[in-house]
Amino acid sequence: MATGDGKLVGARMRRVEDRRFLTGRGTYVADYLPARTLHAAFLRAEHAHAKILAIDAAAARASAGVVAVVTGAEMAPLARAMVAASTMPGYKVTPIPALAAGIVRYVGEALAAVVAESRYLAEDALERIGVEYEPLEAVTDASAALAADAPLVHEEAGSNLLVTREFACGSFDPPPPADLVIKERFRFHRHAAIAIEPRGCLAEYNPGSGELTLHSSTQCPGLVRSALALHLDLPEHLVRVVAADVGGGFGAKSSTYPEEVAVAALARMLERPVRWVSDRREDLLTTSQGWDEIIDAELRVNHDGTIVALSADVIGDIGAYSVYPWTAVIEPIQVVSFMPGPYRVPNYRARARAVATNKAPTGPYRGVGRPPAAFAMEGLIDRAARRLGIDPVELRMRNFVRAEEFPYKTATGIVWDRAGFIECMKKTCEALDYPAARAEQERMRAAGRLIGIGFGSYAELTGIGSATPAAPGMRVPAGTEAATIRVDPSGTVSAIFGVASHGQGLETALGQVVADELEVPLEDVRVRFGDTAFTPYGTGSYASRGAVLGGGAAILAGRVIRDKTRRIAAHLLETEPAALEAGGGELWVRGGAGRRIKLRDIAQAAYAGAKRLPRGMEPGLEATVFYDPYYGTATPATHAVMLEVDRETCAVRILRYVVADDCGRVINPLIVDGQIEGGVAQGVGGALLEEIRYDEAGQLLTGSLMDYLVPGAPELPNVETHHLEAESQVTLGGFRGAGESGTIGAPAAIANGIADALAPLGLEPAELPLTPERIFQLCARSGVYRLATGLA
Amino acid sequence: MKPPPFDYYAPASAAEALELLGRYGADARLLAGGQSLVPLLNFRLSAPAVIIDLNRATDLAYIKEETGRVRLGAMTRQRAIEFSPLVKSRLPLLAEATRWVGHLPTRTRGTVGGSLAHSDPAAEYPAVATALDAELVVRGPAGERVVPAAEFFLGLMTTALQPGEMLVEVRLPALASNSGWAFEEFSRRHGDFAIVGIAAMVTTERDRCRSARLAACGAGPVAVRLRGAEEILEQGGLGDLNINAAAARAAELVDPSADLHASVEYRRHLVHVLTRRALKRALERARGGGAAPLRS
Repeated sequence: MATGDGKLVGARMRRVEDRRFLTGRGTYVADYLPARTLHAAFLRAEHAHAKILAIDAAAARASAGVVAVVTGAEMAPLARAMVAASTMPGYKVTPIPALAAGIVRYVGEALAAVVAESRYLAEDALERIGVEYEPLEAVTDASAALAADAPLVHEEAGSNLLVTREFACGSFDPPPPADLVIKERFRFHRHAAIAIEPRGCLAEYNPGSGELTLHSSTQCPGLVRSALALHLDLPEHLVRVVAADVGGGFGAKSSTYPEEVAVAALARMLERPVRWVSDRREDLLTTSQGWDEIIDAELRVNHDGTIVALSADVIGDIGAYSVYPWTAVIEPIQVVSFMPGPYRVPNYRARARAVATNKAPTGPYRGVGRPPAAFAMEGLIDRAARRLGIDPVELRMRNFVRAEEFPYKTATGIVWDRAGFIECMKKTCEALDYPAARAEQERMRAAGRLIGIGFGSYAELTGIGSATPAAPGMRVPAGTEAATIRVDPSGTVSAIFGVASHGQGLETALGQVVADELEVPLEDVRVRFGDTAFTPYGTGSYASRGAVLGGGAAILAGRVIRDKTRRIAAHLLETEPAALEAGGGELWVRGGAGRRIKLRDIAQAAYAGAKRLPRGMEPGLEATVFYDPYYGTATPATHAVMLEVDRETCAVRILRYVVADDCGRVINPLIVDGQIEGGVAQGVGGALLEEIRYDEAGQLLTGSLMDYLVPGAPELPNVETHHLEAESQVTLGGFRGAGESGTIGAPAAIANGIADALAPLGLEPAELPLTPERIFQLCARSGVYRLATGLA
Repeated sequence: MKPPPFDYYAPASAAEALELLGRYGADARLLAGGQSLVPLLNFRLSAPAVIIDLNRATDLAYIKEETGRVRLGAMTRQRAIEFSPLVKSRLPLLAEATRWVGHLPTRTRGTVGGSLAHSDPAAEYPAVATALDAELVVRGPAGERVVPAAEFFLGLMTTALQPGEMLVEVRLPALASNSGWAFEEFSRRHGDFAIVGIAAMVTTERDRCRSARLAACGAGPVAVRLRGAEEILEQGGLGDLNINAAAARAAELVDPSADLHASVEYRRHLVHVLTRRALKRALERARGGGAAPLRS
């Protein structure tokens, strides 16, 4: 199972957590049901924008099994509204109440809670609450929301424009001369993350100790704990947050939600456990959504394909609230931060505006900003390639940051450490057999088929440390993580992390790192996380940081333990630490036949104290070490797709899908392949199927999984993945993050593939998802079909 | 997404179910496979006082051949139909359509009677029943009556079933000689409701088309028979040009509406495309071309 050199890092190992998950022994929020638990259900706004004039809860309070009905006004004294703060100039705050009081700002916003003996009874009582609304004009389009006379989502903010950020690098007055100017308006719609486990939480309050415990399906137990302490006015040491097993997050479970605050407040008020497990309808209505941007972009290139300048104007529809703690800044501004991608762009000018509307809030979603950025940038590159008659691969190769230019500082200040930008493209083309694929395309085209080949190249900043805020301007301290490694008296190892897993396989991956550092077998290591009562402080798993920060912390703590272990062993074996070799949970004297000692005996000595330890050594065999990678590292990749558009039904079928990425030293190829494939699946969904839709009044039209379409196995291609493994020189262990990678490249590659397929028809789509209906409309408008009589 | 309270009965036979239905009338809903009713209950879009669960009424689940036709009990599972050798040889159009009905786990629960009685405009079985002039056997307080498919599907999720009545059986004509069939469908994903589905059956007589049967789902409030297109084939034969003309006519005969997934124009376009594809495959089979490959 181990690699050739006996190391576990790099080995394709089955995940240790899968036995638990696949046999139904995981412990998700809904699996935990203490005695006397009450069940909460939320009354959710029917209007996108309305004043709440009156709430009549008398009938609901009298309803069978109901323990309490709490309105927004009644909740207000129990829980402070969450304000996502930012240092960004001109940023306007939008306080998020635990329950809306006085006004509702999107359909689905909770305005009252029923707590009852069962969820059934709670939902029965919901139907008996009477709400008198005064509907207000809703604004559901971000461009319209910018108009001077647009209705305001937050009166106090004075504007729907919550923040503007501008970048300028190089000269644009006048714009730099170039042989060709490509202009396009790209539209990347709103998506939902659709974790298989919807959000949920269970709060317990012990009036004896004053401790509040929230079990929550969250990516960030540390952040939720701080948020609860702040908003419930509790000292932080009396708040415990537990995220045992979490069934997917994808960024959408990285924010702290009003329901988490409300459920905790209700448990404290009622002094009984209160549980709320959202259903899929609530998940689609209220879990933070992704993207929703309009990108007006312009690329200036010379005849030889050299990029001269890029400009982008981005409007991000952030919905009704600036999510806590990341703020509304995170998504649209990341679009412009990463728009230049892996290319040398000497002149760059960009503006991003985050605009409030009466829709569910958007927040971080796997890739944050970069999927739309790559979609636009890669779309511009392909347009340039078509106009210039240069092969799209060749045009990219001419503009990638070159090996000798690393570390490369982009126009927006991001620093790329040395990574395989060009090598990813080369590998992808080699795996695809690019010339053969083009020849095949020509043959199939000649037979009348619409075949396209598309590329999506990008670079992602992963594993960011303290030099780069996780969200620009966010005030929450992030950028560090810790590992506690404890050798038990019997020689087994507990490794405890602030990062938390929500399905990525961190139990296995971090276990491999710890096992290598301690030179013990993997089965002797138990990785734990997801409970603030026993983990060191950490902000959680997001932004492709788990392996880089958790792995780095594991290496640091492991070194401390290994060093101490050797010193104790040397003392007990009466030799020098340098004379020892280790492996399989044992140490022995090099060349000294028979002189060996088990980790168990070393641990026994460590806990026995001074009598068996070197003079002056502190007893115990445990270390907690924090790690800060400071800048973070680059993870580049190129995705390539070969696909067919059915010229009659307008359906898209993916024929081949190839990814070559550089995620540094790979801890476990099986897990990284899974990460890439899962990311590609979400990218394919975004490119072909998924779109959250609201009507003009702000009613959600895609309120079930019959209407919001996520891809299933039959819709997905076999993904061929290749890892370059250029070890990062700037992170411990050489790891680069891989969690978000797959989602970023797929929409760009597929959009380009479809544009390539439709090129013979002169069509160049700029809006995703490219549903059959959208492709049909493009074809119909261009006169490919004579309507109602089929093909021309 | 928890249903409102209801009283629940699980009768052991069709007769017991009918008696309960007589007792509760319009307050009761019949639960067959539950693939449509249970979500409606959970969304609280349907709030019947009484649920009569037919899943223990085993006398309603059967597939029987008679001279020239096959009788299917209303509680016959879609999965039983999918895997029935009798259906495969005698009702191959129904067998092929079944592949498009949801997913295997939902077909394990879903029933033929439930699908027909629900009359979802996008469902495959009403289209097959309409194309083949099925007979629907209905039992009620006044006894049994037989309703032809043309009179059974009245509109959007509306059928000729009266309060107190229950669909107990569907009778479909067995495959005639020199006949070919095809069910073509386009959906957003595997297993989704049809954007458009076309059921086709042609019977040839030397080079002529003795009869053609065409019906569409997803292209109107209810499954629709495309008689005008059938006539073109019966009069003009099964040449490529005529098949195209029939497909074009089919697109004119439907009355689709727009939803999130497809516009009126796109649905019409798909009726044309799929009718042509269905007819070509059906013709190949009628001429003994064997099982033409399915497109999906």
